[in-house]
Amino acid sequence: MKRNKGKKALLLSLILMMTIAMMSACGNSNDGQVNNSAGSEPPAKSNEVKELSLFIDASWYPVKEWTGAVAEKITEKTGVKLKVTVATDDKQLPLMIASGDLPDLVFTNSNIDRMSDSKLSYPWNELIKKYAPEFKIDPIRIAIHTMDDGNFYTVRNSFATQEEMAQNKYSVGSDGNPGIAVREDILQELGNPPIDTIDDFMKVLGMVKEKYPDMIPLIMDKDWIEQYFLMQFGVEGLLDGWYERDGKVDYAIRQPEMLDFFKFMNRLYREGDILAENFAYTNDQIDDQYATSGKAFAHMHTVSIADSDNSKVKNAGGTYTFKMLSSSISKDAKAVSSGLGFAGTFITKKNKDPEASIKFLQYLASDEGKKLTMFGVEGEHWTWNDEGYPNLKYDPSDADFVNSNGIKWWYLYNDGVTEGMLSYVPGAQKTKALMERKAITVYKPELGLIQLQPDSDEKTIKTKIDEMIKNEKVKIYLAESEEEAVANYESMVKNAEKIGLDRLVDWANQTYQKKKDLFKK
Amino acid sequence: MELDTHVTGIKGKTEQRTQLWKRFKKQKTLHLFVGLGMIFLLVFAYTPMFGILMAFKQYSISTGIKGIFTSEWVGLKHFNEFFNDYQFGTIVRNTLALSLLKILFSFPAPILLAILLSEVKNLKFKRFVQTISYLPHFISWVVVAGIAFAFLSTDIGMVNKALLGLGIIDKPLDILTNPNYFWGLATGSAVWKEMGWWTIIFLAAIAGINPSLYEAAQIDGAGRLARIRHITFPGMKGTIVVVLILTIGSILGGGLVGSNFEQAYLFGNSINNPTSEIVQTYAFKVGLRDGRFSYAAAIDLIQSVISVILIFSSNYIAKRTSGSSLF
Repeated sequence: MKRNKGKKALLLSLILMMTIAMMSACGNSNDGQVNNSAGSEPPAKSNEVKELSLFIDASWYPVKEWTGAVAEKITEKTGVKLKVTVATDDKQLPLMIASGDLPDLVFTNSNIDRMSDSKLSYPWNELIKKYAPEFKIDPIRIAIHTMDDGNFYTVRNSFATQEEMAQNKYSVGSDGNPGIAVREDILQELGNPPIDTIDDFMKVLGMVKEKYPDMIPLIMDKDWIEQYFLMQFGVEGLLDGWYERDGKVDYAIRQPEMLDFFKFMNRLYREGDILAENFAYTNDQIDDQYATSGKAFAHMHTVSIADSDNSKVKNAGGTYTFKMLSSSISKDAKAVSSGLGFAGTFITKKNKDPEASIKFLQYLASDEGKKLTMFGVEGEHWTWNDEGYPNLKYDPSDADFVNSNGIKWWYLYNDGVTEGMLSYVPGAQKTKALMERKAITVYKPELGLIQLQPDSDEKTIKTKIDEMIKNEKVKIYLAESEEEAVANYESMVKNAEKIGLDRLVDWANQTYQKKKDLFKK
Repeated sequence: MELDTHVTGIKGKTEQRTQLWKRFKKQKTLHLFVGLGMIFLLVFAYTPMFGILMAFKQYSISTGIKGIFTSEWVGLKHFNEFFNDYQFGTIVRNTLALSLLKILFSFPAPILLAILLSEVKNLKFKRFVQTISYLPHFISWVVVAGIAFAFLSTDIGMVNKALLGLGIIDKPLDILTNPNYFWGLATGSAVWKEMGWWTIIFLAAIAGINPSLYEAAQIDGAGRLARIRHITFPGMKGTIVVVLILTIGSILGGGLVGSNFEQAYLFGNSINNPTSEIVQTYAFKVGLRDGRFSYAAAIDLIQSVISVILIFSSNYIAKRTSGSSLF
């Protein structure tokens, strides 16, 4: 009797649960249907809009949704809309690769090696041959991205050859170049001392510290700590890059100028011009807060930092302004462009519609597509100036406007020339800084061709060396004396050699000799 | 016993079997619970163990699960690489130091707090302290790291501002970044977070002590300290030993209070890296970020072997010295 009761109760509750589950399932599917029909109505006149998922492997990415005028226009032209996910950190994409949980498209810069793998992505060359034979990409770009298996899986944006840059004088360069902004009002109160050399700059920082002890003389964005001063000291490439002298390639940390750079950074710390904590920031907003709340004199970030700080200060009701330092405050200043571009789009093996995907990229790669993504909707956002650049109807430094309209950031395929024109705004500080930079730029794209194959021993060595440098460089910056800094620098180089730097350099030289003719005509 | 089974053995194994079956039926609810636990262990603890193979192979993630079996054997290559890593000494030192410090401070702390609380006569106050002290257990480490930043940052940290304002220090303390402070920061925050939680177990042990023992001791003229020493403490001994063995088993993860990884990952930065990089964070970085799963598996395997050795030896020692042990 008792047992029967128990059984009955169990049965009843089971039935109840199942009915609830069924009802809710019905409810869901109903909702789904309603949504679907509502969503597909407007574009129904042409074709059906296809939705592809896109993962952006950059946690700082300023646009997170497929909205805004540019996105809508692209959807109108291609019949594709994107469901965007922006990475939460740099481990998310590796995790997705590991779990096999890839979206239709991946846009990445740091995992290009790893994604260029026939098990993970479709080769563009195959897709183009099959679905988009009119999609023409110039041979240099193809050569740069061709892997050892003979395929290329992506083409990076933001790339332009030396000739292309020389031919387009209004293409001044992208936002992604280093710069320092300083407080104009404070500089004036100090009597407008000239800042023509690195020592001048140090002196001014010292004056700021003395006169405004509560102020931090120089605040640095966590991702832009090295680039500006590396350029001033004439170091070719960043800490994890290559430099070339007399036809031989070596790792950047062994450049003779590198030690001067480290000594200088250490001096900045020892003289109290920068915060030790600055090297531990994991958030790229902290430096902006210092700068725009009036707690810092100089703000190191990119060439657009003065413009963007100023607009932030103005919006918050502040009265002071920032102005850019020159891109070259040293006679040694040299910017070496060894870049092959910034990031590329991959069509993953999980892609549900490779044909639509490659055609989507083909549109972005067309002249119309490039201008649409980079400048905005023609007529509404810009008109073409016959001199050869767009007359923008908005301020490209107004991040809120640019991001909400989706201008520039959908550059899943683009090039450095078009991108460089977005920065050409006669009179803007950024434009001036970039033109100064263009003047001291030396092109060595061959260096960028020293690319490691995923899972190779050399790749392992380089990863380990780079990780070691990341840890050890801070010890140099924060050394208590110059002797200690030099000793720490030497031990860093020694560590790199222990990990296998010489083997890596040998390999790099072989690759370099093999590939450097690619750019010769 | 032996004779017994011998005699009944002839009578029929079948009868025995039916009896067993009957007993099993009687306990079926209990078996259901045990069974679920076993399935859990089987699926989540034992099945993934075949992945250990990876540590001895040159595994590449793009080959999928099949690749674990098909990739090439490389023997102890990954183990050698870890032993020869330039940071090997530092990482192992940090892991051991952090773990030992945590045991040293976090193990006695809840015992002391439990004894102190059991001596408190005011019930309201006792409950108040207990609640306050165990609440932090429910805060996640991510949040704790955020709180720590608000309290300890050199620039906006409340602690630094207060100390500076009072004139106790003339330069802000860089607790979050200075490598010299990391072990203290990690141990301190772990004790703060978990002490109250573990106090509950020890309070339960104290509650189980017969009150007549205390009364008798009081009549015999034993003072408070003497009662704690001769009654409370011996009464808790069994619990203390079991908890200690569990602690030592998980010592490399942080012991009682756990969270070595969370702390090293969240409080660690490039400045305090010389003291904050531990085996787990290192394995995590090379494994996930660099995608070198074989190498990471080898590193973790080394750590697991050390843990197994530690738990067996501590169990053995506990058995020999105090008589109580886990198995």
